[in-house]
Amino acid sequence: MNEKLDDALMTAASKLSTEISPERDLWPEIASAINRPQRSRWMPMLAQAAAVVLLVGASSMVTYLVVKNDQAINEYEPSFQVTITPDLLFEQATYGNLGEDYKQAYGVVTSRLERELEKLSPEARADVERNLVVIRQAMGDINQALVKEPDNALLQELLAEAYREELVLMNRVGNLTRRLMSRQDI
Amino acid sequence: MEALLTVPLSDYSPQMVSLNKPGLTDEADWIARAQRSDAKAFEALYRLHVDRVYGLCLRMTGNVSEAEDCTQEAFIQAWNKLELFRGDSAFGTWLHRIAVNSVLGRMRKSKREQDRIQVAAETILSPLPAADTGELQDLADAIDRLPAGARHVFVLHAVYGYSHEETGNMLDIAAGTSKAQLHRARRLLAQQLQEQGFEV
Repeated sequence: MNEKLDDALMTAASKLSTEISPERDLWPEIASAINRPQRSRWMPMLAQAAAVVLLVGASSMVTYLVVKNDQAINEYEPSFQVTITPDLLFEQATYGNLGEDYKQAYGVVTSRLERELEKLSPEARADVERNLVVIRQAMGDINQALVKEPDNALLQELLAEAYREELVLMNRVGNLTRRLMSRQDI
Repeated sequence: MEALLTVPLSDYSPQMVSLNKPGLTDEADWIARAQRSDAKAFEALYRLHVDRVYGLCLRMTGNVSEAEDCTQEAFIQAWNKLELFRGDSAFGTWLHRIAVNSVLGRMRKSKREQDRIQVAAETILSPLPAADTGELQDLADAIDRLPAGARHVFVLHAVYGYSHEETGNMLDIAAGTSKAQLHRARRLLAQQLQEQGFEV
């Protein structure tokens, strides 16, 4: 490289303008952006993470139960069957205003869950309870997020999904203990 | 937050009436107030630093539109992160770091570097603002044609005077890599300028 040219290059570079005025005023758009009410960053992320955790957790738990505990289930107890449909009454459900049908179904399944859990091995029971804790924690997190953003459709959807998953999980436990479920049902 | 009003910098504070350029005390005051969500104080900071931030973005991107976007993004990021500014470095340097991240982030995100080359070629029809004249303009054009890595290092080190350590920190590369990129940039620039008949 030509050293004189190189030196001249560096000298010239140091003389280049470091301050250049934009051709237009950029402030109004910046002002608009920073004046916009900020969405809470962690709440939607937390809610989404919680939803992923609960879905993975619930699926894993059910798979585990089907594989590991089918032998332990030796009792068939005819009882009231709650049908969980894919759209279980959540179409109109919003935060703090779950449908009556949901509450009825929840009451039936909850009261039956304790009895059904006793039929599982301690290990399986612990798994179920741990997964329910995860799901309910997710519900709590999403509810907290909804307190701050009550109109957030994504959070409403996630909350409905969380409630639905909880109900489905509890009902599946009951179904498992009555041998009404096979892996193909998952 | 209070509604934003665009206030001429010279009208912003009483000190500004008597002083054409704000002192460090003014800037420190604006920073403190902006950290308490005073958007007018932040606008004063914007007015004070925008040319230097925009200049850096323009030199790094070589494109007016991209530079405008990066500048706006940098100031929005700065507003959002303002509470993290502790004065360990000058506010302008802190802003520059954010601006560099904005440029790099946009280039990574949109993969526009290839487009930029195309756009840079098209800017012959719509030249950059004439911040530099004569041979300096030739040099500025040559810098704009450098590959991204070499261009970024050259702009930060040779134009803005950051050390290799500072340049490396800003670009998230080692100081040695910065030196190597600078050497590459100088070689490529010398070739370009010689081809154009640039003489010392």
